Amino acid sequence: MPASLQEVKRRIVSTKKTGQITSAMQMVSTAKLSQIQKHSVSYQVYASKIRSVITHLAQSHLLDSTSVSETGKDQAGKLNTLGMLKQRPVKKTGIVVVTSDRGLVGSYNSNVIKQTLDLIKENGHTKDDVVIIAVGGTGAEFFSKRGYNVAYEFRGVKDVPTFREVRPIVEAIVTMYSNGLYDQLFVCYNHFVNTLTSIFRAEKMLPITAENMGDDDLTALDEDQKYHIEYETEPSRDAILEVILPQYAESLVYGAILDAKTSEHASSSTAMKSASDNAKDIISALELQYNRARQSAITTEITEITGAQAALD
Amino acid sequence: MDEKPVLTVNVVTPDGSVYENTTDLVICTTTVGQVGIMPNRLPLLASLAIDKIRVKTGEDTFDEVAVSGGFIEFSNNVLSVVASAAERKEEIDTSRAERARKRAEARIAKAKENHDDNELKRAEVSLRRAINRLSVSKK
Repeated sequence: MPASLQEVKRRIVSTKKTGQITSAMQMVSTAKLSQIQKHSVSYQVYASKIRSVITHLAQSHLLDSTSVSETGKDQAGKLNTLGMLKQRPVKKTGIVVVTSDRGLVGSYNSNVIKQTLDLIKENGHTKDDVVIIAVGGTGAEFFSKRGYNVAYEFRGVKDVPTFREVRPIVEAIVTMYSNGLYDQLFVCYNHFVNTLTSIFRAEKMLPITAENMGDDDLTALDEDQKYHIEYETEPSRDAILEVILPQYAESLVYGAILDAKTSEHASSSTAMKSASDNAKDIISALELQYNRARQSAITTEITEITGAQAALD
Repeated sequence: MDEKPVLTVNVVTPDGSVYENTTDLVICTTTVGQVGIMPNRLPLLASLAIDKIRVKTGEDTFDEVAVSGGFIEFSNNVLSVVASAAERKEEIDTSRAERARKRAEARIAKAKENHDDNELKRAEVSLRRAINRLSVSKK
């Protein structure tokens, strides 16, 4: 069966080539992953700094505002200036969906999109009161095709996004909130746990409340700052909060994008690894088949020759 | 040798630490005016203007870092400058900053024409950033 022999050989060659490509892609993703992880570490320094200051300020601010509430009037005016801390009646919900621009990342995108839809359903939102901000092409296409209101879409996030590149998105998100386009903001993305696992996370980032500053951070803070440092502030606490809050919100969104990108590289690397493994399996199965076919071809030939010999004798 | 008290300056941005040094004097511009920070000072929190931070390195020499807003936090002789963007003098891309300045000026002119207050404010901020970068890089 020479035709089939040829056929099997061709398939082996093509699978080998595909395997080479996927293993190269795996290597690229792994390299990007380690790059972005290094970057995340330096971002963490910034994030923890800003968080610790803001928790400190916000705690005293919240205390202030509760004590003022007894006297009444003042509070409304005061909280208005700090729009990000203010709870508005929720009419519209903004959802930032972080997906990847390209495929070949395993279940990464479908995971985020599916769970985002679940979240929308769970909270009883409809297409009309949800505003989608899509980071990454896959999510943008998915939601706009299904008739959601996609207020902003951003494609081409770099492999290792720096704050400067992401700044336009982040600023747009925060401005849209201050302009009242939505009254609360969720950020949906895959949180990177380790190379093999990432879990979906939906975080409520705006308005900034005591809860979403993270309980774990508060306790961690308490431990290393047991003796509460009394800061001298310049200008007033509220004025500083006003400067820091937008910066904090921006850093949160950036952190989410960074985290999502990390998990994207991780899942791309895992997907490519399993593709290369599959290619190897297929090649070994095909090689077995090829050898069998070759063997049987040889056997037939020998039988034919010996048969012919016997006929001559 | 007699130990002089020193403080550690650390400029952090989302893209990592930009500058780190020990010194005995840092001059920064807050939104309400300039402050000089010396070791063993009271803990301080202040919001920064878009300006430069000067870190004393020698008798009359200063390291300069351009920051775009943010805030400073000083406690335990550690001064943390937390800004969304900061660049050291050597890192500033002058031609980029120059382009940014021109762009911001154009935006301001346009915003004035259209009476768009929000846009005007934003453009003014970007202009200040660009001018700040340029002024640090020129010295």
